[in-house]
Amino acid sequence: MSVKYIPVQWNANKWKYDAALIVAVVAYILIYMEVGTPAAGLERPLDNLILRMRAFGTCAFWMLTFILCIGPLARLDKRFLPILYNRRHFGVLTTAVAFSHAVFVVSWYFSFSPTDSYVALLTSNLSFGQVLGFPIEALGILALFLLAILAATSHDFWLAFLSAPVWKSLHLLIYPTYALVVAHVALGYLQNSENQTFAFLLVGAGLTVAGLHFLAWDKERRVVAATTDWVEACRPEDIQDKRAVIVALSKEERVAIFRSGNSFSAVSNTCAHQGGPLGEGKIVYGHVTCPWHGFSYKACNGRSPAPFTEMIPTYNMKLDDGVLYIDRQANQPGTDVEPVIYEVADNG
Amino acid sequence: MTLIMIATWYLYAGAAVAVWFVLYAIGRLDENAESAWIFRPLLVPGVLLIWPLILWRCTVLWRGEDKLDRHRMPRKKQDRAAIVFVFAIPLILILAIGLRQDPSDLAGPIQLEAPK
Amino acid sequence: MAKPQEPFFVGWGKVPKALKTFLALSTASFVISFAVAAFAISATQTDTGSGAFMGQANAVGIMKVDPYPVLHVIESDKFEKGDVVLLSGGGKRGVFNRAKNLDGEIVQLAGLRMERGDLDGLQLRGGMRGLSVAENPDPEFEIEVEPLGRWKLAGEICDGKCLTGAMRPGNGLAHKACANLCLIGDVPPIFVSSGPVEGHEFLLMAGADGKRLGDEILDFTATYVEIEGEIERRGGMLVFKIDTDTIRLAK
Repeated sequence: MSVKYIPVQWNANKWKYDAALIVAVVAYILIYMEVGTPAAGLERPLDNLILRMRAFGTCAFWMLTFILCIGPLARLDKRFLPILYNRRHFGVLTTAVAFSHAVFVVSWYFSFSPTDSYVALLTSNLSFGQVLGFPIEALGILALFLLAILAATSHDFWLAFLSAPVWKSLHLLIYPTYALVVAHVALGYLQNSENQTFAFLLVGAGLTVAGLHFLAWDKERRVVAATTDWVEACRPEDIQDKRAVIVALSKEERVAIFRSGNSFSAVSNTCAHQGGPLGEGKIVYGHVTCPWHGFSYKACNGRSPAPFTEMIPTYNMKLDDGVLYIDRQANQPGTDVEPVIYEVADNG
Repeated sequence: MTLIMIATWYLYAGAAVAVWFVLYAIGRLDENAESAWIFRPLLVPGVLLIWPLILWRCTVLWRGEDKLDRHRMPRKKQDRAAIVFVFAIPLILILAIGLRQDPSDLAGPIQLEAPK
Repeated sequence: MAKPQEPFFVGWGKVPKALKTFLALSTASFVISFAVAAFAISATQTDTGSGAFMGQANAVGIMKVDPYPVLHVIESDKFEKGDVVLLSGGGKRGVFNRAKNLDGEIVQLAGLRMERGDLDGLQLRGGMRGLSVAENPDPEFEIEVEPLGRWKLAGEICDGKCLTGAMRPGNGLAHKACANLCLIGDVPPIFVSSGPVEGHEFLLMAGADGKRLGDEILDFTATYVEIEGEIERRGGMLVFKIDTDTIRLAK
């Protein structure tokens, strides 16, 4: 969906998505600073900058927790796919909130000293040899650095330039990032506050994220690699019209068999854009359409309609005794393949 | 502080790469970026941070060594990363909760010896 | 035979009707979870107690620079006679260099007062107006020194400035690096004991030799620790002369 790059390809759904994000973040910060803190009944007010550190820091953590839930939720329940659609804006906003938190920390805890702020940030706690009292600033800086990489490389250009596999590998950095953030919070603010509410929320958030990823991993684990040259797929009747069935050739390679009326075509399940699962998509206006970001391809040759230039591999198929078989050898991306025609009795 | 020096030089080098990359290289490497200028400033932060990776990709693309396996996603890698992650998070939390100190558990002052 | 088709969302298209309710509910719970989390976390923040800046103060008293510069008050508009006041400079700085030649002298001070319980602090103004030799010294005042024996205390090592009132909160692990920065800047370290010793909860810390402490305590700041050492009353303040090799994390 690229043609010429522009900064952001806005559309109505993205506007709504971003509006919900901004409402949530503004509500969080305002409620934290103006409603919750006055209700805490403190003898004296907290330093305003410490309050902001806490509000922005915990907000960024809460945001990151949601971001980490979206992927596995969408894999477990397709209804969550629209939330995945604009996840990159969520990520960029989270990075901005986390960055604000860092700015408040540096301008309060590491200022007013004869030592330079950044030198102070890196040197005033060097207790790397212990867990309690570990320099949480180092964890936070590293996490923020990784978040910045992810946010800065979220534009579609980077996907095309780095190629989806390299881009995806780079963006797996979100896992260590979240682990660093959990450690940063668990060895910092968690130890600082005597109340159980924060501990409860932190543990709940961490376990929810880990649990969802476990469920999604478990679902993925059941995929078994094919061993023959022609891989038995399914019966043509098993595919709903305009939809697909996904067949795994190996863990890394999956094929989506699309049905359009009586014609059946097999293309790579992996969208050339961001690796979205094409087989969970649909044929819309005659084109296979990715459920993630709406990239589309012709089923017969894996090419995006002009003026777009994306291409995905196609696969040869044969029909034998009422069963579809896929040639394990993928064709070059964009190769024409004659669709298999099969008269389906029930045109559901 | 050496770390700050290294970080500064890393960013300077990134800035040099960014100028070259954003003004010249991308127009050659990606036809969709040709004469598309407005989005380019958006790339600068990315170049600053991951310029070594960018130089590597440039050489791969220029030599035409880009493998046509863009449809093969690093699922195994993702699976492994996910499973490590699934265990790492609860571990960190258990460790941190276990270490939590409760001021009400602290012993009171004890006089070990009377003044001499 | 064929199952009813699942609704399908395309980003650039319209949201299918069947998904609209689901997405509206998801969005609402998303926003509400932010509001609830914000309130739950902020409304249960730990109270930081009474420490604060308390406005301008002037005082005349005896300067003692070991282990850290303090003033034993003889006369003041805000402090009581006999109070011992921790001295600091602007920001995260101590005043050892300004005070070192005035040890034992009667001096007059001006600056910003800080107070937390029986802990008093003064952030000196710059130059002579902040610290100078007193013009009409009152020689009758004497600092009584009384050894209190060897003790084992549990509590937290804090910096004497943030704790007294320069920051709220000025203790705890999230504040550890900041506390270290103050201590590196020569602000006096204070031990906050889990219980009072002879009526004092806050003790000025010193090495076993009674001199200032070095970097060896930085690993132990901001956590709850147990330390052994001699305690000595010097006027209105206790000094805890710690054996640094006895410091360990409290269980």
